[in-house]
Amino acid sequence: MKIFKYLLLVSILLFTSCEEVVMPDLETTEPRLVIEAVMEKEIFDNGFGYRSYVRLTLTAPYFANQVPVVENATVSVTDENGQVYEFLYDENGYYYPANPIIIENNLEYTLKIVYENQVYTTVQNLAETVPLLYVEQNNDGGFSNDVIELKAFFEDPLGEENYYLYAGLSQKGNLFDAINDEFFDGNQIFVFFSLDELEAGDEVLFRLMGIDREAYNYYFSLLLQTEAPAGPFETQPATIRGNIVNQDQPENFPFGYFRISEVSVLSYTVE
Amino acid sequence: MRLNKSVIRIFLSLFCFWSSPFLFGQNEQEKFVLSGSVVEKFTGEPLLGVNILILSQENGTFTNEKGVFSIELQKGPYQVRFSALGYGTVQKEIFLERNMTLNIVLERTAENLEKVVIEENVERQKIDEPQMSVSTLTSETIKQVPAVLGEVDVIKSLLLLPEITNTGEGSSGFNVRGGSAGQNLVLLDDARLYSVSHLFGFFSIFNPEAVESVKLYSGGIPPRFGGRISSVLKIDQKEGNKEEFKGSGGIGVVSSRLLLEGPIIEDKMSFLVAGRSSYAHLFLPLFGLDNTAYFYDVNTKLSYELDENNNLSFSGYFGRDVFEIEGSFRNDFGNTALSVHWEHEYSENLVGNFSAAYSRYDYGLDLAFVGFVFDSGIEDFSLKYDFQKEFSNDFAIRYGLGTIYYQFNPGKIEPSSDSSGINPQKLTDKYALEGAVFAEANWDINENISVLGGLRFSAFNRLGQDYLNTYENGNPIIFNENLGIYQKAEPTGQITYDRSESISLFSTLEPRISLAYQLNSKSSIKIGYQRMAQYTHLISNTSAPTPFDVYAPSGKYIEPQLSDQISLGYFRNFEGFSFSAETYYKNTQNLLDYIPGADLIANNAIEQVLLSGEARSYGLELLFRKTTGNLQGWISYTLSKSEQRTPGRNPAEPGINNGEWYNSPWDKTHDISVTGTYRLSDKWTFGANFIFQTGQPATFPNGQYELGGLVVPVFGARNSSRLTAYHRLDISATLTPNRNEGRSWQGEWVFGIYNVYNRMNAASISFGQNEDTFENEALKLSIFGIIPSVTYNFNF
Repeated sequence: MKIFKYLLLVSILLFTSCEEVVMPDLETTEPRLVIEAVMEKEIFDNGFGYRSYVRLTLTAPYFANQVPVVENATVSVTDENGQVYEFLYDENGYYYPANPIIIENNLEYTLKIVYENQVYTTVQNLAETVPLLYVEQNNDGGFSNDVIELKAFFEDPLGEENYYLYAGLSQKGNLFDAINDEFFDGNQIFVFFSLDELEAGDEVLFRLMGIDREAYNYYFSLLLQTEAPAGPFETQPATIRGNIVNQDQPENFPFGYFRISEVSVLSYTVE
Repeated sequence: MRLNKSVIRIFLSLFCFWSSPFLFGQNEQEKFVLSGSVVEKFTGEPLLGVNILILSQENGTFTNEKGVFSIELQKGPYQVRFSALGYGTVQKEIFLERNMTLNIVLERTAENLEKVVIEENVERQKIDEPQMSVSTLTSETIKQVPAVLGEVDVIKSLLLLPEITNTGEGSSGFNVRGGSAGQNLVLLDDARLYSVSHLFGFFSIFNPEAVESVKLYSGGIPPRFGGRISSVLKIDQKEGNKEEFKGSGGIGVVSSRLLLEGPIIEDKMSFLVAGRSSYAHLFLPLFGLDNTAYFYDVNTKLSYELDENNNLSFSGYFGRDVFEIEGSFRNDFGNTALSVHWEHEYSENLVGNFSAAYSRYDYGLDLAFVGFVFDSGIEDFSLKYDFQKEFSNDFAIRYGLGTIYYQFNPGKIEPSSDSSGINPQKLTDKYALEGAVFAEANWDINENISVLGGLRFSAFNRLGQDYLNTYENGNPIIFNENLGIYQKAEPTGQITYDRSESISLFSTLEPRISLAYQLNSKSSIKIGYQRMAQYTHLISNTSAPTPFDVYAPSGKYIEPQLSDQISLGYFRNFEGFSFSAETYYKNTQNLLDYIPGADLIANNAIEQVLLSGEARSYGLELLFRKTTGNLQGWISYTLSKSEQRTPGRNPAEPGINNGEWYNSPWDKTHDISVTGTYRLSDKWTFGANFIFQTGQPATFPNGQYELGGLVVPVFGARNSSRLTAYHRLDISATLTPNRNEGRSWQGEWVFGIYNVYNRMNAASISFGQNEDTFENEALKLSIFGIIPSVTYNFNF
């Protein structure tokens, strides 16, 4: 439960704090490969849509405006049956499969990336999700009672451990969360979207992605690093390692993750 | 001028006491004990630090904090003089042929002066006593330290002393000699307190009005204390006035306070009730906000002198913080502490102390917009009995035993409405029994050497509970070598124990010793060693504790924390000044650390995210203090290092931070405080603080990457960077109007300016994306800029 932010919000609001942009001297480490490998099966009203991509980039100095992209790697996914899907470079670090991958349940997929003569691999399965049902809007949220809050509801399956990666996307900003059903197993529950700037007419896209426990731990840790407030309540910064292994030089591990998710999507226009 | 003379006299008599031949016990003649107590005439309060002088002998003593004194003399006639600065002198002629008791009443001669003398003896260095590494502040001193928003603060005043620091403005808890906030034992009268902060750390929970004195032990901790490894903060509440009804209070910017005290049975029984509350929330509705945020606390004490040999007191504390955002969020937390203390004098030189206490900290969160209520807390019941036996002026012992029963409630989750999607869940309650026996001796071996030492034997019995997880090979956390990460192990089963069963049993022998070697009448060297054990752990993964951090007991998967400390100090008194220099080295084992991404809240299997590490700290602390005259104050300087490491459990594991040492979040290389008050006239008193500290450790990113729309910082070695240096100046002026004279209502105005030159000190630097440009930026957060304040204090 990430309640830090609410508490910090309350405590900061009470006092005469102020923020100022500063430029501390930062060191920069050797560039490291970053792999964002995603295969998604999207639930439509009458069927499924499939989308797969791999984005390869390198780490950059913290204040750099963009990250370097990797254009010359070899990327492929092989399923358990030996079917190989080659990925081709497009632009901005993105590689797409030459032929669409129809993701099947209970089938293992092996990601293989060859970059600078080193081989990076991992194996994943599809993690299922449940449909997003409807959105509820509340116009008097937040500390000042005038912030728009949205809740998108879904029905969690009973009697099994379920994990979700949630993304709420809008022109005003995005929100992410890693969720497990420990406290609401089998119930109807919601994902939450609220931004101070949100107003009528804005479109919000809710995405609820199925992930497994390992991916949940990864995204939970990752989000702690990107979202947690600094200051007395700050969590300890850490290096968050993903599920992709450098087979040649394990210590030269890549950042990033390979996940295969079923996704449910709901679009909502703020009233 | 009178003041200075009296002070010098106290000094002189103190030193005379030590050079007196009486102490050597050369004479074979029969000896008797002259003892008794000294109280203030109007309040009936025991007077501390009254000088008792045996005129013909150039010999004497002082009363202790209970107003009690005792001195051993040969048979014969004596003139005994009782004097204290600001009080009339009482002289008695006695003929000592058996043990004798004298109960003396001293009358105040001049308003305001008595406070000075009390500070005098409490706060200055005691060069002759082996006790070292102890700092004392009285309520009066605390009230004179300029404070943010004029809110006089016990803990924030202590921060000006060398051995204690914290993780920055507005952070909760405090850190002593490199220890974490959860390693401090905080005792209010006899009850443990689990949290010391209001408003997440902006203020501490002690109403300065109700506090008599605070004493912080950071080294050479006497064996009668135990259970936490860093320090003991002992806060004594005031005793109610036994003679007449009195009141005092103050009206401040953030909170107001009121204290009422008076007799119930004249000279015998008194009460004290003090309350404090913030009131900013009262104005929120004016802005159309149905939100609220406030804190309050109540201190009570009932003191009853049954007879000459029996004193009974009851203390109570109740404090609470409440935050509410109408309809969506409510958060409240606080301490409750109750204690009873019975002091029985068996004979002239044998005193028994019984105490019983109940303490509770609870935390509640109602997240209506998510639909659940969360409650957690800890409760304890403790009993303690000890004896103080004085064999002679040179040799006294104290021995006793104590026990604490703990009940830990790591959390209960309940849906807050019918439509909530949350399932009720109770995290498993845990139980434990802690016990200790101790014996300590205070022995003046000869003219120069005195020793305070002893042994504490502590034991901790983790009692039976429901559903204790079991793991393969007893290992709740596994290292995935392939991915290079720590993962939670899957429990292999659960065991439910009977409440009376023991799951784990720990015990520790804790030797403590301090030795003073007096170089001459004005200076001494002290050396101390202590071993301490801590069986309950504050589970906190943030720099400073948060209100929702829970305590967890040692048991199958958590070992007790152990610390060893050696300290060495030089102490010197000048006329009106004291100086001390102390160095220490402290080592802590079995310090808990947390795997990356550990979720500590509402975690029923906390053992799955814990690793065990160690800590070490060392430093040099200098304190130069002026305790008399119109100008009083101190300069303190600390040079220190505090770090910790958590290596892997085997060579294949990286541990935390690759197993390397890293700075504690409160590590500050240099820490300088200058604080002073100047009494210009009866009307005006001025105060000032200046503080300079090395910037706090921080972890800055050394890179970034993009992942799924997120910009993720890459962090290097933990706490390897630092914020910019912290410094500020605070000033205050206290106006005591002339018209106070001759009336019962005494008022004073305190005008303060915190951070006079408006230094924007960094409380933190956070790294993230700019909301408009989406470019990475570093944001420095400053909490308090320049803050003026006005407070009105009164007595009646």
